[in-house]
This record gives sequence, structure tokens and C-alpha cells, in this order.
Amino acid sequence: MTLDAPRPAQAAKPTFAAVAEELLDDVFGYLLYLTKNRAVAEDLTGETFEAALRKWRRFDPERGTPRAWLLAIARTTALDWFRADARRKRREERAEASYLRPEPADPFGEGLSPELEAGLLSLSAGEREVVALRVVLDLDGEQVARVLGISPTAVSTRLHRALAKLEERMRDDIA
Amino acid sequence: MTSPDLFHELRAARPTAPHSLRTRVREIAAEEQPRAGWTWPRLPRRTALAAVPAAAALALAGAGILGFARSDVPTDAARQLTLEEKTAPEAAPAPSTELGAGSAQDSTIGPTTGRAQRVSATLTVEVADADAVSRAAQEALDLTRSLGGHVVSASVATGEEGTASLTVRVPVARVQDAITGLSALGRIVSQQVTIDDLQEQLDALERRQASLQAQIARISARLDTEELDAETRAALETRRRTLQAELRQIRTGIAQTNAEARMSTIQLTVVTPGAYGVAAPPPSRLDRTIDEALNVLAWEGVIALGLLIVAAPFAIVALAAWLGRRLYRRREEERLLAA
Repeated sequence: MTLDAPRPAQAAKPTFAAVAEELLDDVFGYLLYLTKNRAVAEDLTGETFEAALRKWRRFDPERGTPRAWLLAIARTTALDWFRADARRKRREERAEASYLRPEPADPFGEGLSPELEAGLLSLSAGEREVVALRVVLDLDGEQVARVLGISPTAVSTRLHRALAKLEERMRDDIA
Repeated sequence: MTSPDLFHELRAARPTAPHSLRTRVREIAAEEQPRAGWTWPRLPRRTALAAVPAAAALALAGAGILGFARSDVPTDAARQLTLEEKTAPEAAPAPSTELGAGSAQDSTIGPTTGRAQRVSATLTVEVADADAVSRAAQEALDLTRSLGGHVVSASVATGEEGTASLTVRVPVARVQDAITGLSALGRIVSQQVTIDDLQEQLDALERRQASLQAQIARISARLDTEELDAETRAALETRRRTLQAELRQIRTGIAQTNAEARMSTIQLTVVTPGAYGVAAPPPSRLDRTIDEALNVLAWEGVIALGLLIVAAPFAIVALAAWLGRRLYRRREEERLLAA
């Protein structure tokens, strides 16, 4: 049984363990694209599943797929991390104690060309997340819109801009 | 690189969770699910969507049930009320006792013996045709005279739709006989008997008369027996003339009141079905149910509007706060994800 299949009228609720097993890579991949940091993505993935377990009783299969539900929790978790990170950066700037954090090698994992990886790194987190959801995880426009809390039209626009920017950067790199 | 190539490369290099993370997530999933804390009860979307039509249906059903329950008015009474409205007396004095429409046999209340009372009655009877109107008018006049009464006014119109209007006065003692006799002239359409008590008014006049008579007697005695100076005598004589004038007025008033109390006034209208018009058919149970249901619905609307007026400011503030918070969160997210 695939957890992203079209929902029947009375969808049976899968077990949390089954959901976690099937959707772990999706959640991790999304968070990795969003944060471009493997360690952070792993931490946030763990936090996401902990939060999801706490909320599992309230999950209603008739209101959405487990995938969209989990990714929405992952996004909230990531946004909390971005907020905390922004506060930490401000504190460091005030204390003039900022230091250069080493950029991890192969932030998006293996298999990507250096040009594509550089292009992804040049995108903003917002642009990367729409690429991750729509292209890498292959969610449809409706599901992405639900995760991001925007309209499907806005999803298309955002994806189009992100891809255009990505292709442009890659062309520049190749040239 | 084109978009399809890009898509292919991105999907081919789809990140996979490291083994350590998978183990950790499995451990999390194997944990006992924590007991959920108290949360606001969430209305299922389908239930929420059905709530509005359900509430409307409930309001309609309530109005229908209440309307049906309140429509249980006897048909005859409703019909008589309708007819009485059409023949209600115009500018009648405020009655102390009124007898509504009904048959002559219902009019068992009459003047109280031994008390001065003004009795007036309004009758409308329906006869078959214009000839019957003339006959009924004549019989009414004969009946009045036979009871010792007289005619105040009479108007008889014959033709296709005949009508007759008579105002007669009969002794109060015979008013019951008069009403019974006049009611028998045709089918009663409406009947109203009004009784005003005049006894208190009469008693007051009589007390004033006695007082005036006593005062006049005392003044007359002084004038006849005492040695008075010219000025005092003139003053007393003037006072006596004033009292005598007032006494004459009081006596006139007593006589008029007694006359009113002796004779009752009866207004009789004789009509044909055509002249009277087709009597409105009594509303059916369904009509009354619909009327009552609409009435209940109107009240429900008033209550709902009242609640809306009270709740609207709070709802607007809450909505504005929610929208503001949402906008702030959206902007903050955009700013965070722009990096």
C-alpha cells in the first residue's frame, strides 16, 4: 500500500511506524534541500518525527495524505530552526564573534553535478523547498500548496522562477 | 541543461536518509504514543459544511412545528371574528361591558335591574334578497313600536343589493326582547351589546341636587327670618339665584341620565349577501400553520440578527487579529526563507 495513493471515502489510518518507514527519505530530502546542511537536516528530521508522533492521534486521513501532513510538520520544524538560527546570528554579530562555519561537502548528497549543486546553493531556501517538493519528491501542485500554505498558482510561479534561476546559474557556471 | 534533464538529475540524486537517522526514527516510531494533551475540539470539515444547512433546516422545522401547534384555532370562532371585523361599530363609546358576536340566544347578559345603565346594541342580519330587506325593516319598526320604543332614524335601500340601517330606541326593560326579535329577522352576521353604568353619575347628580336644595333652603330661611342689612340681603339673594340656576341644570342632567337609562339604543343593519360581500372564507389549517410558521421564523430572524449584532464586533476584532497574525507569519517566513 502506498501512503500517497488517492484517498478512498473511508481511508484506513496506517500505523505511525509504517508512515515513518516510508516517508523518512522524503522528509529528510526536503529538510536537506531547505537547510542545505546534512547534520541540521538529520536533527530536524528526528524532531519532525517526534512532533509527528505527538500529533499522530489528531491526524485524519480524510483531510490529507500522511506525506503532506508530515512535510507540513517538517516545514514548521525547519522554520523554527531558521528563527533560532537568525537569532543566533544576530547575537553573534552583536558580540562580533561570528565565525565562518565550514560549508559541508556535497550538501545535497551524492549524484548531483557540481554545476547543479552550485546552482542549488545559490537559490534561496524558499526556492529550494519548492524544487524539493515539486521536482525531487514529485508532489503535485495541490499537495505542495497545502504544505507551503499558498495557492497552487503561487506554487507554479515560485517553481518557474526557481528553475529559471537555477538554469541561468548553471549556464553561467558552464560558460 | 534543459528542465527535463534537470528534473531527471535531481530525482536521480534524491537524498536518502543515513542509516543512523533511520535507526533513530524507527526508535521514535517504536515509542509508546504519548497521551495527547487537551486540545480544542476540531469540527470535521464535512460536519462544519453541513452545520449551516442543518441549522437552517432546524429553524424551519421548529417554525413549522410551532406554527402547526399554534394554528389550532376553532374554525367557527375564526369566521365570526372575521365577520365582526367587517361590521364593527364606528366610534362607539368606551363600553364597560361588551358582548361579542354570537347568536341571539348567546346574549343572555342584560341590564342590571335597579341600576341606571346605558344599553346600546349593534346588530347585523343577513336576509335573502332586497325584498326581504324591506320586509325585515318594516318588521323591525313594528317590533320597536310594539315594545314601546321609537325610531331614531331609518334608511332602506332596495335594488339589486338591498340594505337597511335603522336606529331605534326601546325601553331598557324590553331590550332583550328587542334583540331577540331583531335577531330573528335573518341570519346574524354580527352582534354587539354594550352596557355603560350610569348609576354612579346619577348618584353624584342626586347628591349635588340635595346639597343645592339644602343650601337654598338655608338662604331662604335667613332671608325670611333674619333682620339683614341691604348689602347682606343682596349678596344672599344673588347666591340663592346662582344655586337655583345650578339646581335647574342638575335636574336637567338627572332627567337626561334617567332618560338614557330608560331607553336603549339599537342599531340594526339588514343586508343581502351581495351587499355584504362574500364573507371571507375562514383560513384553512394550512394557511394558519404557514402564517404562524412565518411568524416564528420572523422571531428567529430577529433573535439571530440580535446575536449577530452583539457578536459581530468581537468576530471582526478576532478576524482582524487572525489575519494580522497570519500576515506577520507569512512575511516572517518569506524573510527567513529568502536567505
